[in-house]
Amino acid sequence: MNAATGQILRTIVNAMQRTGAVVWELRNIIKAFGPVLANDNVSLTLRRGEIHGLVGQNGSGKTTLIKTLCGAHQPDSGTILHDGRPVRLPNPLAARALGIATVFQEFSLVPNMTVAENIFLGGWPGRLYGIDWRQMREDARKVLAQLEIAISPDDVLADLPVARQQMVEIAKAFAQNASMIILDEPTAALAAREVEHLFALLQRMRQQGAAILYISHRIDEIVQLVDVVTVLRNGQVISTAEDTPIDIPYIVTKMIGRSIEEYYPKERNATSEVVLEVRQLGTERGVADVNFTLHRGEVLGLGGLLGSGRTRIARALFGIDPLTTGEILVKGRRVSLTSPAAAVAAGFAFLPEDRKTDGLFFNFDGCRNITIANLRGLLRGIQLDLAREQEVARGVIEHLDISPAAQEGMMDQLSGGNQQKIILGRWLYAGAEIFILDEPTQGIDIGAKTAVFRLINELTRAGNGVIFITSHDDELLAMSDRIAIVRRGRVVRIANVNDVNKADLLQGAGEVAA
Amino acid sequence: MKRIFSSSLFGPAVATTVVTLLVMATTDRFLLPGNLNNLALQVSIVALVAIGSTLVIFIGTIDLSPGSAVALLTMLLAMLVKFWGVGFWPGIMITIIFGGGLGAINGMLTAYLRIPGFISTLAGYSAYRGIAFMFNLGSPVFDVSPLLDSLFYGTVFGIPWPLIYIVVFFAAAHWFMRYTRLGRSIYAVGGNAKAAHLSGINVPLTQFLAFVIAGLMTGVGAVLMAARLNSGSPNYGAGLELQAIAAAVIGGASLAGGRGDVLATLLGAMTITIVQNGLNLNAVPTSTQGLVIGLIIVLAVGIDMWRRELADGVVRLWPGRTAKLPPTDKEKSHDLPSSV
Repeated sequence: MNAATGQILRTIVNAMQRTGAVVWELRNIIKAFGPVLANDNVSLTLRRGEIHGLVGQNGSGKTTLIKTLCGAHQPDSGTILHDGRPVRLPNPLAARALGIATVFQEFSLVPNMTVAENIFLGGWPGRLYGIDWRQMREDARKVLAQLEIAISPDDVLADLPVARQQMVEIAKAFAQNASMIILDEPTAALAAREVEHLFALLQRMRQQGAAILYISHRIDEIVQLVDVVTVLRNGQVISTAEDTPIDIPYIVTKMIGRSIEEYYPKERNATSEVVLEVRQLGTERGVADVNFTLHRGEVLGLGGLLGSGRTRIARALFGIDPLTTGEILVKGRRVSLTSPAAAVAAGFAFLPEDRKTDGLFFNFDGCRNITIANLRGLLRGIQLDLAREQEVARGVIEHLDISPAAQEGMMDQLSGGNQQKIILGRWLYAGAEIFILDEPTQGIDIGAKTAVFRLINELTRAGNGVIFITSHDDELLAMSDRIAIVRRGRVVRIANVNDVNKADLLQGAGEVAA
Repeated sequence: MKRIFSSSLFGPAVATTVVTLLVMATTDRFLLPGNLNNLALQVSIVALVAIGSTLVIFIGTIDLSPGSAVALLTMLLAMLVKFWGVGFWPGIMITIIFGGGLGAINGMLTAYLRIPGFISTLAGYSAYRGIAFMFNLGSPVFDVSPLLDSLFYGTVFGIPWPLIYIVVFFAAAHWFMRYTRLGRSIYAVGGNAKAAHLSGINVPLTQFLAFVIAGLMTGVGAVLMAARLNSGSPNYGAGLELQAIAAAVIGGASLAGGRGDVLATLLGAMTITIVQNGLNLNAVPTSTQGLVIGLIIVLAVGIDMWRRELADGVVRLWPGRTAKLPPTDKEKSHDLPSSV
C-alpha cells in the first residue's frame, strides 16, 4: 500500500469515526479588523466525545476564533449553532451560560481557596443559608475521582504546582457540565511528564462525552491526542477536520504553506576540527563523567528527558555551576570557566530556555540588547561609541532578518521569534564560537522555528560549534549531526544521528523511571 | 512634538514648570535675584546627593543611608580640620573618600553578602548617625575653617559655586550613564540581573560600584552641608535620603530598576526645592510642606504615567493631526503581550 492510499484510508476512517452528536457548529464566520480578515469564512463542527485540534501559526486566526466563541468578539457575519439552534454570544456571560468553558494560561481560580471551593466557584451547593461544605467536598471528590485526578478536595490551590492547578481548572469546567471546553496552548508551562498526565486526563474526559477544542502550535504533541484537526492559515480553514489526516508532515505543510523538508532545512557543515573538548566534567549539581568533543560546523544534540541533566551540563559549560572535576578545552587550550563572564571571554554563547527571565532586557531597545555582551567592542578610549553601536545593531538586525522595528523598539513589542534572534545576534556580535542553545524553539510559532533552524545552519556554516538541547525529538533528530544521550547527568552514548532513533531517546526514559 | 512628549525629561519638566508658575503666582519675591541665588544654594546639596541615590535606584535597590552619612561626614571633616591638624584640602579629600568608603560598606553588604539594599542601608541609616554622635561628646563643631564658607557662598564671575558643582557633576553623571560600560551595566543589572549575569556582566561588582559612587556623592554633599554653616553636626542631613529618593522618583526613575534618566533627577530636586522655597516665602508651616511634597510626588509620577493621554489631549487641539506615541515605560510594564 503506498503512502497516498494510506492517507486516503486514514482520512475516510477519520470521517467515519466522527459519530458523536454535533454540539457546536460554526458556519462561515467572518471577522475583520480594519483591512485584515482575521477569520475568513471559517466553519467547523465540534462533537460530543471528541478532541478537536485547532492548529495554525501565530496570526492564523486561532485567537480571534476563540475570542468569538468566548463572546469577546462579535463576528461580522456567519452563524453559530448550539445543538442545532442558532445562538448569539454577545458577551462572555452569554457564552458561559451556554456552557463554553475556556482554560487560558492564566487560570480563573482563587489561590487561597481549597480545590473543592474552586471547582464549584460561584455555584457552591447551599442550604437555606450558608454553604453545604460536606456536600461540596463530596461532589468535588466525585468529580476528581471520575477524572482520576489524584488531588484532595481539601488542598489549598496555591500549594499545588502549576500543572495540578491547571487540572483543577479543567475539572472545574467539567464539573460545570461545559458543552465545550476550550484549551489554549495548555502545555506551554508543563514539563514532559505533566503533559502526559494532562493528555490522559483529556482522554478520560473524552470518554465521558466532553467536547474539547484544543488549540496549539505544537504539532508533535497534538497528534498524540486529538481525534480530528482543523488547520487555519491566514484566517482561512486550509484543511478541514474531515480532510486532515493525523499526520505531522501533512499538518505542518498545510500550516506553514511549505513542505516539511523546508521545515527542517538541515545542512551538514561538520568538519573534523575540534573546537571544544570536555573531559570528565562533574559538578555538585549531579553532572558526572561527561566527556565529549564538539567540532567546527557541527550540531551536537543533547538527547534525554527533562531533568536528565542536559541543562545542568550546559550550565557547567557556561560557568554558571562550578566544576568539581574535569577540564574544558577550547581550541586545544585549557580554559577555566569560573563565571559566565569567563565563558563569554572563552567564546561561549548561551541561549537560555526562558529567554524572558534569563535573556532579555525589557528596559533596553533591541540595539542595546544586542550589544550588551560585548560593550568592550564599542569602546573608543573609555567611552562607548554610540553611533557605531547603532550601526552594529542595524547590521545584526538585517543579517538575522529581525523586524526593523527592533532597533529602537522595546522587547515586549517583539514576537518570540524576534526576541530569540535578538539574543542570538547578541552572541554573534560577541564573537562567540560555541553556541549552547537550550530549547531555542520554546514558545515560538512554527514559522519562527524554521527561522531558528536556518540560523543554526548559518552558525555551522560559519564554522561555529552548536550544542543543541530540545525536548522535541523530531527537532533533535532532524537538526543534529551527532547526538549525546544524557541520563542522570551523564552522557551514556554518543552516536551519529543516523544511528539514533526515537526509541533510543525514549529508552533513556524508561531507565530514569526505573 | 512627538519627541518632546516621549522624552523621559517631559514629565519632570512639566512638574518643575508647574510648581514654578504656581510659586510665581503666589509671591512676587520668588524672582528676586537674592531668592534665586538662595534657591541654587538650597537645591545643590539635595541634587548632588540624589545623583548617588538615582544610581542605586537604577540598579534596582534603594539607599536609605545618605542623610546619616552626611551627619557623620560633616563631623569627620570638622574634627579633621579643626582638632586633628589635617590640612583643609586634604580634609576635604579624606571626607569625600570616606564617603566612598561608607558606600563601599553598603555595597559590600548588599552586593556580596546579599542583604537587601533596603535593609543594609537601613542599618547604615541608624549606624552612621550613631557614630557621628561619638565625636566631640555628641556636640556640633562650629567655625571649622575660614576657607570652608567660600566653597558654598563663593562665586566665579558672579555665578555661585554650588551652581557650577551642579552643572559639572550632572554633566559627568549624564556622560557616565550614557557613555561608559559601567553606566550601561548599571542599567542592565537593574533591568534584569539574571540576564546581565548570563551576558557576562559582573553583577555584584556593578552593584558594589554603584553604591561606592553614591557614597562619593554623599561625601560631596556632606562637604557642602558643612560649608553652609561652617560646622559639623550629628544632627545634619535628617530626611535628606528621602528628599534625594523623592527627587529621583519625581525625575521618573523606576523603583523596579533599569529605567530613568539621571538629568531628570535634577529637575526632581528643583521641583522639591522650589515648592519648599515657595511655601517658605508664603510662610506656610513645615507640617504643611511635608503634605505638599507628598502630593507633588504623586502628581509628578502621575503626569509621567498619563503622558500619552495628555499628549492625545493636546494634539487633539490641532485639527487634522493624530497623536501616535510609543507607550511609556511605565504603561508598558502593565500591558500584557497581545496576539491576534
